[in-house]
Amino acid sequence: MLEQLRQRLQALQKTVGIGDGPGALPLGIAPIDAALGGGLARGALHEIAAVSEAHLAAATGFTLGLTSLPSPRLRGEGERVCWIAEDMALAESGAPYGPGLDAFGLAPERLLTVSAAQPRDLLWAMEEALRCRAVGAVIGELRDSAVGTVALRRLSLAAAESGALALLLRSAPSREASTAATRWIVGTASKTCFAAQLVRNRRGPLGSWILEWSDSDERFLLATPAQPVAAPALDRSHRQVA
Amino acid sequence: MAERLGLHAGLALAQARAMHPALEAIEEDAEADAILLEKIADWCLRYTPLVAVDPPDGLLLDITGCAHLYGGEQALVADLGARIAQTGFAYDIAIAGTIGAAWAAAHFGKPASYACGEERSLLAPLPLAALRLAPDTVAALVRVGLKRIGDIADLPRSPLAARFGTGLLRQFDRALGTEHEPLNPRLPVAPYVAEQRFAEPIAREEEVLAILTRLAARLQFALERRGDGARRLELALFRTDGELRRIAAGTSRPLRDPAQIRTLFVERLAALADAFDPGFGFDMARLSVLVAEPCPPEQIGIGGGEDAAQVDRQVGQLVDRLSARLGARRVRALIAQDSHIPEIAAVSLPAQAALAAATDPGWQSFRHFRADTELASRPLRLLQRPEPIEAVAEVPDGPPLRFRWRRALHEVIAADGPERIEGAWWSEHGGPARDYFRVEDKSGLRFWLFRSGLYRDLTQGAAAPTWFLHGTFA
Repeated sequence: MLEQLRQRLQALQKTVGIGDGPGALPLGIAPIDAALGGGLARGALHEIAAVSEAHLAAATGFTLGLTSLPSPRLRGEGERVCWIAEDMALAESGAPYGPGLDAFGLAPERLLTVSAAQPRDLLWAMEEALRCRAVGAVIGELRDSAVGTVALRRLSLAAAESGALALLLRSAPSREASTAATRWIVGTASKTCFAAQLVRNRRGPLGSWILEWSDSDERFLLATPAQPVAAPALDRSHRQVA
Repeated sequence: MAERLGLHAGLALAQARAMHPALEAIEEDAEADAILLEKIADWCLRYTPLVAVDPPDGLLLDITGCAHLYGGEQALVADLGARIAQTGFAYDIAIAGTIGAAWAAAHFGKPASYACGEERSLLAPLPLAALRLAPDTVAALVRVGLKRIGDIADLPRSPLAARFGTGLLRQFDRALGTEHEPLNPRLPVAPYVAEQRFAEPIAREEEVLAILTRLAARLQFALERRGDGARRLELALFRTDGELRRIAAGTSRPLRDPAQIRTLFVERLAALADAFDPGFGFDMARLSVLVAEPCPPEQIGIGGGEDAAQVDRQVGQLVDRLSARLGARRVRALIAQDSHIPEIAAVSLPAQAALAAATDPGWQSFRHFRADTELASRPLRLLQRPEPIEAVAEVPDGPPLRFRWRRALHEVIAADGPERIEGAWWSEHGGPARDYFRVEDKSGLRFWLFRSGLYRDLTQGAAAPTWFLHGTFA
């Protein structure tokens, strides 16, 4: 009897979003994938915050980039992406724009947008969307409302159950404790680059990278380091040294 | 009561006050009366879906095929009368074969039930006003000695029409039933309806949902037989005190599965929360399909693969649930439109409507267009409307050097453009041409700006072109 209860307790206490998820989505960038333990965990909650409100577009781009990571679950037409935002977020920062999304690699017909009047509706809609098997990623965009750890844990659980990607997009970093598997702070870097900082990672070390989105490959690339001042020496092996 | 005191309609208020000083006078409020009448009309929906309002104080019910549910016309009248009397209204009811005859009997005759074909004998002794004629027509008829409907019944028709207009004969024919009179129901009649009465009122949400599932199962048979599915459903709950709750839910695809219909209403009830006030309970429920659409028979997936149709079905269910809870306007899909004006090129529509037209090739053709024309890049997020900014440009037609948006100053270090987008010159509200620039500021933020109006079009004395910010790039 006691043994049974212990087993049940163990099953209930299973940490959410780690290991038991349906695998990881590799970003295709070795140092990041190594830090994440193979890639971004599916079936888990990830929080992405903009450095400040002005950088929200970059954080949006980074989030959308994560949703277009090649997913093994559905092939062909692709999984749906559900973007659920507070009314204020859409009014202040602009609504997702189809032609821009399309160039970014997210086909607009795959996107479903939902506007929520209050955070409670947003969280409910996120959970519902996560439960739908046709949805591969759910983006929840919050302005500066606090969500509460219970709600975040519910999201983690819903994501773990479905194997979909739950992404919480915030316009500024939040101090709330959270069950998210990873937490990112994203800002713009010069020349269409993202400065992505991994500030919380349940599977490995933290880090910070300058990334670039490649429209043609539809994936992230590590931004090439700045050109050195002097051109690299050419190979002049055919010349004879005097 | 009033008549017993010697008061009657048309009496001057001063005279009435003189007779009874304690008399309390209440101003007539036609608007409130009309609203009340409509409420009573809604309540009458429990007897028949065909209820028309006959202002200022009448209701017309088409009870064809409904009376047997109550055990005959007399029983129906008794039930209706008892319920109306309970709520404190005085009433006159008559049942007859035509609208005109029933109206005349209720207003002027003996309230009772008359069979079809009795119209002539019913109407003959009644005054001409019972034909629903204009007062001056009645007065003109009375002047020539025609007082009762029987008086004109056997007169030659053409002189009557010539003297008093065709309206008189039309009303007469309609009352007799020789000319059809259509009933204008207040609410559209649903193509599919299932209803249930309860001996004991129900109040709990679970009970309502259980009844709903049962009604939906009944509708399913009817829908399947005709190959239809429901696009819009309405659950009408009749409260014992005469209130009517109408809860509607829309769907993105034709639907007939009772379990799915139930989930929709679970969300609707959750959204209503306290507004769903059962009072002392509901004693009747009716589920109607307001809009039905042909629906191919459900196909059971072969091999359990996640085929495209199944994905569509799941997405449809999600959209329906979200729309039911949050409102259909809040759940949207992006649609490409054939326009070069950025805010019109892509719009978002309620997903329930957009999914129904799922084969829309908009984005496909947009992609071809983008590839063919090498369209300049577009922002990820577009502001709901362009926001005016204060910008300083080096040369009139060039990109801005710096600009101020939402009180913050941005120094432009790189700019790309202009991309000229003409306004809709064919339309009056087209607006001027725009020059779009993609600019990057010192901290690396990227914006989509435009100058509205061109310096080439500037006429003497006109305002200078203004700058707007329209979107942000990742």
